[in-house]
Amino acid sequence: MHMNLGRRPFVTVSLLLAAALSAPSAALAQATGDKIRKIVLVSWPQGVNPQAFQASQMIAQQWRQLGLDVEVRSMPWPQHIQLVWNEREKWDTTMWRMVGRPERSDPDEVVFNNYHSTSAPTGFNFVGYINPEYDKVAEEQRQATDPEKRKVLVRQAQRLLDRDQPQMFIVHPTTLKAFNKDVWAEDSIVSQSGIGIRNFWTFIRANPKGAQKQMVLNSAEPVVAVSPMYIAGSASSWVTELVWDRLARVGPDGLPQNWAAERIDWINPTTVDVTIRAGMSWHDGKPVTVDDVIYSFEVPATSNKVPMYRSAVADIVKMDKTGDRKIRFTLKAPNAAFVTASFAKINLVPKHIWEPIMKDLMTKPENAESIPNPPAIGSGPFKMVRNRGQEEIVLDRFEGHFSAPKMERWVLRIVPNPEATLGMLRRNEINFLADYGGAPDVLEKLAKDVPQISIKSEVDIGFEYAAFNMRRAPFNDVNFRRALSMSMDRNALAQAAWNGYAVASNSHVSPALKFWHDGDITKIRTGLPVSREILEKAGYKMVGGKLHYPDGVKEMLPPN
Amino acid sequence: MRFISVRLLHSLFVLWAVVTLMFLMFRLMPGDPMAAYISEALSEESKRSIRAQFGLDRSLWEQYFIYLGNLIQGELGTSFFLKEPVWDIVMTALPNTLAMTFSALILAYLFGVIAGAFLAWRRGSLAEGISIPLVLATRAAPEFWVGMILLAVFAFSLGWFPSGGAASPGAMYDSEWQRMLSLDFLHHLALPVITLALYLQGLPLLLMRSTMLDVMQEEYITMARMKGLSTSRIVLHHAARNALLPVATAFALSLGQLVGGNVVIEMVFSWPGLGRILVQAVASSDYPLAQGAFLIVAFALISMNFFADMLYALLDPRVSHDRKS
Repeated sequence: MHMNLGRRPFVTVSLLLAAALSAPSAALAQATGDKIRKIVLVSWPQGVNPQAFQASQMIAQQWRQLGLDVEVRSMPWPQHIQLVWNEREKWDTTMWRMVGRPERSDPDEVVFNNYHSTSAPTGFNFVGYINPEYDKVAEEQRQATDPEKRKVLVRQAQRLLDRDQPQMFIVHPTTLKAFNKDVWAEDSIVSQSGIGIRNFWTFIRANPKGAQKQMVLNSAEPVVAVSPMYIAGSASSWVTELVWDRLARVGPDGLPQNWAAERIDWINPTTVDVTIRAGMSWHDGKPVTVDDVIYSFEVPATSNKVPMYRSAVADIVKMDKTGDRKIRFTLKAPNAAFVTASFAKINLVPKHIWEPIMKDLMTKPENAESIPNPPAIGSGPFKMVRNRGQEEIVLDRFEGHFSAPKMERWVLRIVPNPEATLGMLRRNEINFLADYGGAPDVLEKLAKDVPQISIKSEVDIGFEYAAFNMRRAPFNDVNFRRALSMSMDRNALAQAAWNGYAVASNSHVSPALKFWHDGDITKIRTGLPVSREILEKAGYKMVGGKLHYPDGVKEMLPPN
Repeated sequence: MRFISVRLLHSLFVLWAVVTLMFLMFRLMPGDPMAAYISEALSEESKRSIRAQFGLDRSLWEQYFIYLGNLIQGELGTSFFLKEPVWDIVMTALPNTLAMTFSALILAYLFGVIAGAFLAWRRGSLAEGISIPLVLATRAAPEFWVGMILLAVFAFSLGWFPSGGAASPGAMYDSEWQRMLSLDFLHHLALPVITLALYLQGLPLLLMRSTMLDVMQEEYITMARMKGLSTSRIVLHHAARNALLPVATAFALSLGQLVGGNVVIEMVFSWPGLGRILVQAVASSDYPLAQGAFLIVAFALISMNFFADMLYALLDPRVSHDRKS
C-alpha cells in the first residue's frame, strides 16, 4: 500500500515531464506537416524497355536525394496499362512513352488529346491535368487555320506545360534503321520527319537495284491484327497502311498531302469538298466509289463499334455525296488538324465487304476489335498474300494502284532475337532493318564492317516521360512536381540510359517537328540544388533526412 | 489387359487433376482475366454481355463443369489477345514444334544409343576419356549459348544454314505437307535440330553406357564371348538390346516434355513453334490460350508416359507379369 502510494506521484510526475518535453517536438511535427509517404514509380520491366528502366532507377535515386522514399515497381504491360488507365486514382508516378506515328506529325494529337481536360476521365490525359488556360490554348490551336498563328499557340501550350510540369519529359529517342544498299537504291529510301526510313513512302518508292525485287524486313513482335478498324501495335500499323488507302497521307515532310483524294478544297473553315481519284479499285477488282468512302467515315461515327477511330470522325457533322467522285464534309467547328487527324487516319474500306460484318457485329456485344483479321481487301498499294502474324506477313504489289510500288513483294518476318536479326541483315536474309531493340553501337559496328549496310538515324516524334498523377498529393502541387522534374539532367539521362541515342526533352512537341517545336524549351536549370530551392520556397521541410509536407499539411493517402 | 486398363485409368486421373489445377490456377491469379479481351470503350452493358457469353457471371462450380464439358468436346475457347480459336492457333504452331522435337530426339537417341554402347564396350580407352567430358559439357552448356555459337559459325560466318525462321522469306506452298517436306524447310530445320540434339544426346548416351556396363557383367555376355561370337554381334544383339529398356522410357518421356516446345531454341532461331506462343500467352495474360497450350503439353506428357509404360511392358514382360502376380 505504502509502495503504491509512493509510486503513483512518481509516475504522474514522470508522465507530465515527458509530456512537457515532447510538446515542442509534437508541435513542430504538426507545424512542419506530415512526412511524405513512400512514392512508387511504376516502370517497364528491364527486358521490355531497358533504357526506360535504367532511367527510372536514376530518377528514383535523384528523388531519394531530396528526402523521399522511392520504390521503382516494374510490372508487365497488361498490368501496367490496367493500373495507369483504368485505376486512375491508385498510382503516384509512372514511366510512359508516346510512340512516333505519322499521324502524330501534326501536334494536335499530343497538344489536345493528351492534356485537354475532357480527356482526363478516360482518355489520354491520364495524369489528370486540368487547366482552363491550357484548354483554351489547345482549342484555339485546333481552330487556327493560319499556320503562323497556330505555331504561336502550339508554342504557348509547350510553355504552359513547362510551367506546370504535369509530367517530367525525359527524351525523344533517336531511332536507328538500316538497309542493304546493294539491294535498294540509296536515293530511293525516304526519311520521314520524326519517323525515320521505315515509313510508307520508303515502302512504295524503294527502288530495287538488281534482280532482288523483294523487300524483307523484320519485326521483333508478332503482328496481332491486320484490320482497317483496329491497330494492335506498331508492326500492325505498317501492314494496315499499305493494304488500305486513305484520303490523305502524312508526307515525308510531316505535312498532309492528297492521296486517294485527288482534290481537297476548303470551301470555308467548316466545309471541305473532296474529289476522289478516278479509276481506283479494291483488291477484289470492284471499283472504289464515293459510297465506299462515305461508309468508311460513317462506321466509326455512327456506332460505338470502332472505338479506335471514333475521335477521328468526331468533328464531322455530315457527309453529302455531291457527284460521282465528290463528297462534301461539314464540320462542327474549324479544325486545323482535320486533314491529318481524320483524312490521313481513316482507312477506306469496301462497303460490300464491311456492311455484312458490321451488321453482324451490331447483334453482338463485341466491337470491331474482336475481329483482328477480317478479309484483307483494301485499295492500297499492296495486297495481302499471306497473313501468319506469328511468322511472316507477305504482301504483293497491287499493279492497279495509282502509285504502285517499285518492289514486287514486301515480306515482314517475325524475328524475336536481335542478334539473329543482325546476322540476317549481314547475310541479306533481311534487306531492311525495320525494328531493332539491341545496342545501337553494335549496329553501327556492323555497318562499318559490312559496307553494303547503310544506317539512318532520326529523332523520333515520340517521347519518353515520367508522369505525375495530379489527382494525388503531393503531385497536385506544381512546386513539388517542378522540384522532382528539375532534379534530373535530361542530357545525362540521354547519355547514360539511352547511350546517347536520344535528345533531351522538356516538351510534348518533338524537335523533329521543327516548325512547331519551341527550341528554347529545353534550356532549363536542373540539379538537386535547384529542386531543393523550389521545395524550400514552397514550404517543404527536411526532418531527420526525410521530406515533409509544408506546415500543417497532413498525409491523407494510405501508405504505398 | 488389366495392366493396360489400370495404366489408362491412372493417366486419365492425372489428366483430370491437371485440368482442374489449371482451371483453379488461372482463376486465382490476381487481376481481371477479361481485362485483355474487353475493350474499355465498350459500354457496361456490352461488358456484362461478354462476361455472360464467357460464363463468367456464373458460379465457380458451374464454370468448372462447363469448362470440363467443353474440353471433352475438344473446345479450348478463344484467345483473348489474338481473338481466334485456341485450337487453330495451337495447331498452326504444333507441326513446327513436332518437326523440330521429333527430329532432334531421334537424332539424339540414335547417336546416344550407338555412342553409349560403343563407349561402354571401349571402357577405359582414349576415346572414352575424351568423349565423356565432351558429352557432359554439351549437356551442361545452356541451349541458347550453343544455339548462338552454331548460328555465329554456320549461319553468319560460313553461310551454310539460314539464320532463322521455318522457310525462306515469301516461300509459298500448296499444303502443309508440301511445306514440311520441302528442302527449304529442312534447311531451316537443321540448326535448331542440331542445337536441341546436342543438348539431348547426353542423357541417352550416359544412360546407355551405364546400363551397358551393367549388362556386360552378366553371365550370358561371358557365355557369348566364350561361344566365339563376333564383337558386333555381342554388342548389338546381346548387350545393347537388353540395355535399351531405360533408354526407351527416357525417349518416351522426353518426347512428352518437348512437345511443350523449347522456348529458348525457338527464340534463338525465330522458330514459329508452340513455345513462343506459350510465352506470349502468359506474358499477355491470355488465359484461354495459355490454358489450352498447357493442356496440350500435359496431354502429350501423360500420353507419352502411358506409352512408355506400355513399351516397357512389351520389352520386359516382367513388368506387367510382376503386377499381375
